[in-house]
Amino acid sequence: MENLASASSTNLDNSSPDFAILDVRNISVSFGGVRPVQDVSFKISENSFTSVIGPNGAGKTSLFNLISGMNKVSAGEIIFRQQAIQAIHPHKIAQKGLIRTFQGAKIIKRLTVAENLMMAVQGNPGDNLSGFLRIRARRDFEAQARAEAMRRLDQVGLTKFADEYAGILSGGQRKLLDLSRALMAKPSLLLLDEPFAGVNPTLVEKLIMVLGELRKEKSMTFLLIEHDLETVMNISDRVIVMADGKIIADGLPGAIYENEVVIDAYLGSRRKEIK
Amino acid sequence: MDAFVQPGFWVFVLALAGIYGIFALGLQIQYGVGGIMNFGHVGMMAVSGYTIAVLVIKYQWSFWWAAFVGVVLAALLGALLGLTTLRLSGDYFAIASIAFAEITRYWILNTDSVTGGTQGTLAIPNPLGFGGYTNQPDLILTWISDRLYPIVGDEASRDMSMIFIVWPFLFLFIWIASKLQQTSWARVLRATREDDDVPRSLGKNVFRFRLQTLVIGSVFGGIAGVFWALQFALLAPEDFLRIVTFYGWMILILAGATRVKGLIIASIFFGFLYGSTRFLEFWPLSLLSSPERAYLRVFLIGFVIILLMLKRPQGLFGKRQEMVLE
Ligand SMILES: Nc1ncnc2c1ncn2[C@@H]1O[C@H](COP(=O)(O)OP(=O)(O)O)[C@@H](O)[C@H]1O
Ligand SMILES: [Mg+2]
Repeated sequence: MENLASASSTNLDNSSPDFAILDVRNISVSFGGVRPVQDVSFKISENSFTSVIGPNGAGKTSLFNLISGMNKVSAGEIIFRQQAIQAIHPHKIAQKGLIRTFQGAKIIKRLTVAENLMMAVQGNPGDNLSGFLRIRARRDFEAQARAEAMRRLDQVGLTKFADEYAGILSGGQRKLLDLSRALMAKPSLLLLDEPFAGVNPTLVEKLIMVLGELRKEKSMTFLLIEHDLETVMNISDRVIVMADGKIIADGLPGAIYENEVVIDAYLGSRRKEIK
Repeated sequence: MDAFVQPGFWVFVLALAGIYGIFALGLQIQYGVGGIMNFGHVGMMAVSGYTIAVLVIKYQWSFWWAAFVGVVLAALLGALLGLTTLRLSGDYFAIASIAFAEITRYWILNTDSVTGGTQGTLAIPNPLGFGGYTNQPDLILTWISDRLYPIVGDEASRDMSMIFIVWPFLFLFIWIASKLQQTSWARVLRATREDDDVPRSLGKNVFRFRLQTLVIGSVFGGIAGVFWALQFALLAPEDFLRIVTFYGWMILILAGATRVKGLIIASIFFGFLYGSTRFLEFWPLSLLSSPERAYLRVFLIGFVIILLMLKRPQGLFGKRQEMVLE
């Protein structure tokens, strides 16, 4: 890894375990001969906003798949709130408050937009068959979930689609739904995989504000994969750069932007685009 | 063609429709809500039917206890099927489920001491020696027949009494199923029929939801077996061939898999199709021998399934939109 991390560590070193909500220790994964993630380590401090950037195929999505438990690590440990999670089922990880979204937005097409959101709410008594006879509790919970879903939809301008099948939404709208759905789960750590790609810039700005508010008011922590560097520079207080399955740089956004290794590996052409 | 205007024919159709309606309701929950393609559903009906027959005939159990045990065993069979094969992806599960039902049938076929074996028929006897039960159920059927007699006269029959027993249950089960399908449990289940990752990433144990669904569906399959045993009183392994599962599927496809309400009409249509093949005696079908004509039923039902899949994949009552979303 490039030394940049230590260079900027004066501000960023949250290695004191009390503050690390997520601690990724030397994780790797391999599928046959492919090794999308190789010996990756980093810590995420509580209430921070970190972006992960890197060229296509760098292993960013694979990293999220490992953290969320959808794929299992071949080696290494993942500690979430002082608990090793690398070997437990993804639904258990989600129940602990670690929620992720999917690149390309996975929505349930044959549920309505509102239903997509409502299914994300945690602790629903109606999710268990044993709750079948608790009619009152179920109804109250549903009413609250619905109200919250409508608030989320209002936030992203999808209110009029609430009772339509989610399958009719456009690509950009699906992204909004996916993001809103993750928020419905009230995560303490949210992993966002390119949530803004294909969303119109005005709305992106608004969403960034929403995320900022959540960070402040609900003490949420964010890990974001994003290609648009302007967005990254705006929103993050730390940037991790990946290439070929490894972290090649890790530091403050400004420092990353000037970093030679990063420029060579990734930014080169993009920097020109922005300027 | 006279047969179709005989009330007795329609009474038989309705009795059969009620039983197969309950049977298909099990598939509806599994496939229509959970997207689980169970092609071995007949196994659940066979297990409960045979359990009842064996316990009543060989061990002189009361019908009700035998029925209870039969349904419990059907549920356990569903759980066993799920625990062993539900982790397979959809198509592979479908194949495994066929194998599972076949194993059940072969077991029945080869366990002579318990089930009657290849010679097969287990007759649940009444005091006269055939076709009935010695205890409560028969009394209930007779009681109903006696009440019907003043109204319908000689048309009062065992079949007609069966209608009055089966249909209230069918309505009750459809009501329960539709309530169940309005819960958030069913919402998660509907999500799982499209995608595992989303519900998992939101904290839902997809396997648990599927397993529960399979067991609930199997309970309905088992209950259908109870009424089957009551209706036919004669059980032979060839009653529980694979095709029976597809009778259920035909009803389901006809009804529109995602809607419970179409199930009633679809069941009656199936009952009609099933019952009427007995009467296909007119030319040129009269050239066929009677076992050959029995096969016509299978052809006919296969044909209807194919036609539906081509022309109306959403069923007669389903929403097309739900089928075409990408
Ligand atoms: N399940 C898998 N099986 C085989 N190869 C995989 C799998 N998942 C990811 N990869 C490979 O890992 C590499 C990194 O992919 P990905 O994590 O999607 O990159 P990024 O999100 O940074 O664009 C790619 O070469 C991809 O083909
Ligand atoms: Mg990716």
